[in-house]
Amino acid sequence: MENTSTIAFTADELKEVERLQSLYPEHKAAIMPVLWMAQKKWGWLSEDVMKYVADLFTLPYAHVLGVATFYTMYFKKPMGKHHIQVCTNISCMLRGGDSIYEHLCNKYGIRHNETTTDGKLSIEEVECMGACSGAPMIAINEDFYENVSLDQVEKLLQSL
Amino acid sequence: MNTSTYTNGHHVAVQDVETKTAYINGVAYSVQENETILSFVRRHFGNDYVPTLCDAPNLDPYGACRVCSVEVALTANGSRRVQASCHTPVIPDSYIFTDTDRIERLRKNIVELVLTDHPLDCLTCEVNNNCELQTVAARVGIRKVRYPEGKNHLDRQKDLSHAYMTSDFSKCINCSRCVRACDEVQGQLVLSMAGRGFDAHIIKGLDQTFADSDCVSCGACAQACPTSAISDIFESKSVVADKKVRTVCTYCGVGCNLEVAVVNNNIKSIQAPYDAAVNQGHTCLKGRYAFSFYNHPDRLRTPLIKRNGEFQPATWDEAYDYIAEKFTQIKQEYGPDSISGISSARCTNEENYLMQKFFRAVIGTNNIDSCARVCHSPTALGMQRSFGTGAATNSIIDLKYTDCIMVIGANPTDAHPVTGAKLKQFAMKGKPSIVIDPRRTELARYATYHLQLKPGTNVALLNMMLYYIITEGLEDKAFIQNRTEGYDGFKEQILNLNIDELEHITGVDKHLVRSAAITYASAPNAMSFHGLGVTEHSQGTFTVMLIADLAMITGNIGRRGVGVNPLRGQNNVQGAADMGCQPHQGAGYLDAYNPEINKMYSEFYGVPIPIGKGLKIPEMYDAAFAGKLKAIWLMGEDVAQTDPNTQLVVSALNKLELVVVQEIFMTETCKLADVVLPAASFLEKSGTFTNGERRIQRVQKVVEPIEGTKPDGQIMVDIMNRMGFAQPEYHPDTVLQEVSRIVPFFAGVKWNELGNNGKQWPVAPNGNGTEILHTETFKRGLGKFHFAPYKETEETKQHADKYPYIITTNRELEHYNSGTMTRRTNNVKILTEDVLLINPEDAARHFIEEGDMVCVESPRGKVDIKARITTEVKPGIMSTTFHFPELMINNITSSQHDSEALCPEYKVVAANIRKSKGKFKTQPQTV
Ligand code: SF4
Ligand code: SF4
Ligand code: SF4
Ligand code: FES
Ligand code: FES
Repeated sequence: MENTSTIAFTADELKEVERLQSLYPEHKAAIMPVLWMAQKKWGWLSEDVMKYVADLFTLPYAHVLGVATFYTMYFKKPMGKHHIQVCTNISCMLRGGDSIYEHLCNKYGIRHNETTTDGKLSIEEVECMGACSGAPMIAINEDFYENVSLDQVEKLLQSL
Repeated sequence: MNTSTYTNGHHVAVQDVETKTAYINGVAYSVQENETILSFVRRHFGNDYVPTLCDAPNLDPYGACRVCSVEVALTANGSRRVQASCHTPVIPDSYIFTDTDRIERLRKNIVELVLTDHPLDCLTCEVNNNCELQTVAARVGIRKVRYPEGKNHLDRQKDLSHAYMTSDFSKCINCSRCVRACDEVQGQLVLSMAGRGFDAHIIKGLDQTFADSDCVSCGACAQACPTSAISDIFESKSVVADKKVRTVCTYCGVGCNLEVAVVNNNIKSIQAPYDAAVNQGHTCLKGRYAFSFYNHPDRLRTPLIKRNGEFQPATWDEAYDYIAEKFTQIKQEYGPDSISGISSARCTNEENYLMQKFFRAVIGTNNIDSCARVCHSPTALGMQRSFGTGAATNSIIDLKYTDCIMVIGANPTDAHPVTGAKLKQFAMKGKPSIVIDPRRTELARYATYHLQLKPGTNVALLNMMLYYIITEGLEDKAFIQNRTEGYDGFKEQILNLNIDELEHITGVDKHLVRSAAITYASAPNAMSFHGLGVTEHSQGTFTVMLIADLAMITGNIGRRGVGVNPLRGQNNVQGAADMGCQPHQGAGYLDAYNPEINKMYSEFYGVPIPIGKGLKIPEMYDAAFAGKLKAIWLMGEDVAQTDPNTQLVVSALNKLELVVVQEIFMTETCKLADVVLPAASFLEKSGTFTNGERRIQRVQKVVEPIEGTKPDGQIMVDIMNRMGFAQPEYHPDTVLQEVSRIVPFFAGVKWNELGNNGKQWPVAPNGNGTEILHTETFKRGLGKFHFAPYKETEETKQHADKYPYIITTNRELEHYNSGTMTRRTNNVKILTEDVLLINPEDAARHFIEEGDMVCVESPRGKVDIKARITTEVKPGIMSTTFHFPELMINNITSSQHDSEALCPEYKVVAANIRKSKGKFKTQPQTV
């Protein structure tokens, strides 16, 4: 079961991993920031990346996959340059989140967790992002846009 | 004294906190400490009173489904809050309402919502009528689901990839019982919940199939799953059986209780009873799934007599006559000492007792030994010398009370899986644990300390630990003073040791040894476990005595959570020795060479019993070569495959005039026999097994013996009668009555009183068993300190220059010893061959790559084995198993023995290696 892939953090990154681990009473609690680091580095969390991180922590693979799939911000496949997340959970749904999602899907011809062929844009339908007070909301990469109307979404897209 | 019990899977003190009560639906009931509302209500109203879904008897409370909700108020008319009863502690004097309208509506709605994403094809479902979801739905009064059909997961695919485990997650209700079973019971951490919200689903490993995951198919998840979402090929949890029979597993010394479902004299499946004291609803794959050997076409079904080199079928009468005649003739011609017997630790106490009685009382010789010789004889001898009793001092349940575990030369997660899982849970929780083993075993990966010593240097390493305990001033002076003898001389010798030299010999950093020693010595309660990595060495007995020294010097004897605990290998190796299957001790370990005792035995058996020295197994082979031994009787022992140095064993057997073998399959040894008697398997007979914690448990006949076979005990009785000794028909009850009159520590053992969980010996005449030995005094009075200096084994001393590597042997979980049984089950689909573990450095030196065949040569012979390159072993050390006959690894193992108990040294073989060329078949050569 030894992992033979060539994926590895640099020495500096490993130091950062250690620092992150030292912040918590239990090392394994640092799994989230370390997965985040990994995603920044490799763009998304491939199976090999998850195995690598699991081995760094001596955690079972299923545990890491469980964490990675629980949070929508971890990508389990390569995403577009601009990754648009649309919340359709209750607050956002009541305020029109669904129609924003459908609008985007129709416009680009892709659906949940798909990427345009040019690799520029991907869409994800997400559960509550904790920004209900600004419902409906979308996120483009790491930026949140709240209280958005269809028009505003269009403008945002043009500015990309 | 039974002061504790399992309530809802959790350890709870039973003493009622007297005055404390709480109200259930307006009536006051007594409350126990640390009790949940659920266990409180169930204790008074029965298990069905409150419905549950995510709760399971052997798992920690979880609180996911909320079906167990009740209302709780702090005062009679106070406001009521809804609480999940399964994980909410009872507050004394609170008011609990279990079935108000509000609660009934809530429960119903929850289950209805669950059903919106569950196929409603109960009638065709595997678990129909045995489904907890179905039961709970009926219980909360659901007739139809009011919600419209929405998104669902009914299209999820089944996973039928595995030899035993299956899944169909369209039936999954996300209760997480399987995940918790895998984590909390087996500790394998294969399962997890991925995704969230609607996407939440169970995964295996990195979303793999069962076959590709790290699953060890213990079946805990399948047994825990309330629906058919995870199950097994036998549909174990839902089989509709004519009867369910409780019996004891035959695959290892843990002694798990099994509940076997039978239809029409056919075994359908095996489950683990939750109330089993040994295994609490758990098993490993051998116990639960490896039963299909029992009616395999290869089973021997008729006695065979070899005439002119060919086996010919015979009737039982012919076979008995043949044997009786030959035995009588050999006995007349060469005397009774020309006949010997080897009993089996796989067989019951009663059968072992009868076999030694047959040899002593009917043949008239002490030439009776058992396979304990090749595994734990040094344990019995070493512990007898130190304490007076050669058995585990404590019980496995003590793991709940101990503060530190030390595991020496044992790989319990493979060889004793259910106890192994408990040890692993202990280590995984980060509690102090020390593993002493040449291999990085699974347990070693989780342990606080892994002392990875060179094979054969246990004595040196334990001496180092003793040294540090003394120099750090960590001895338990009061214990040493009051309970032991021989300490002063012992201490002097330990302090004279040259630690740096020992560090060099063992190859373990002395600072690490020091830390481990301090950890063991300063834990309030420390427990040690050891296996064949201790005993199967030239210094096996001395190692055991040093382990005993460690326990005594730190006062870790005679109470909960401490002691010296050999992990007995075979299911009844304890019993075989207890029953007297060794030359120097008769039934009950009484000295067979002592005239007083001899007189007592003679009176008891009603015939003169021999007092002359009997042969131990290795001596039997020597005697065969010397022409002194002429006949041997082997009860279920495959000596040709499992004893070391195969060529020697084979040629010894070939020298004999008569070889009788009782077996269930045609083993390598059977092929050398003159008469083969087809025996019944453990599923086809009754008797008792004694597990590694001295627990005498009932083995109950599950199905009738396969046509043509007989229980080993019956065979013994038949031959005794045939040779003129009147022995009543075989029945465990009557044999136990006889045993209880001669074996002191069986005095109060009665078949009918053993109950579901057996009794731990010594069992007093009033029927009370004993969980912990040596609480007040040792069996021998004072415990005795013995010093033993490290002495290099002749094996490496003589051969190291030509054979620079050391090969040691180990077990794999999936197979049992020579594998005659497990190789005839689906277990072979999981593990198909023996492999050689080899360090990357050594592999590189010989240009060996993963999967290459490696020719391993020892001073005795050579074999070809497939390489598995791994850092589990250190450079210079290799390890392999011997489950498959193709390999005959014992062609290369040595004839070195433990100097004291003559247990063979399987664990150290001097060898050389090279990449194999061309042909890989091995031929056993003759000497
Ligand atoms: S069978 Fe045992 S090891 Fe395998 S997934 Fe289930 S609980 Fe885990
Ligand atoms: S597979 Fe079974 S035990 Fe596991 S979550 Fe689903 S229903 Fe529960
Ligand atoms: S742990 Fe041992 S006794 Fe228990 S089921 Fe497995 S082989 Fe049988
Ligand atoms: S529901 Fe959209 S952010 Fe909470
Ligand atoms: S049984 Fe209590 S929450 Fe599931």
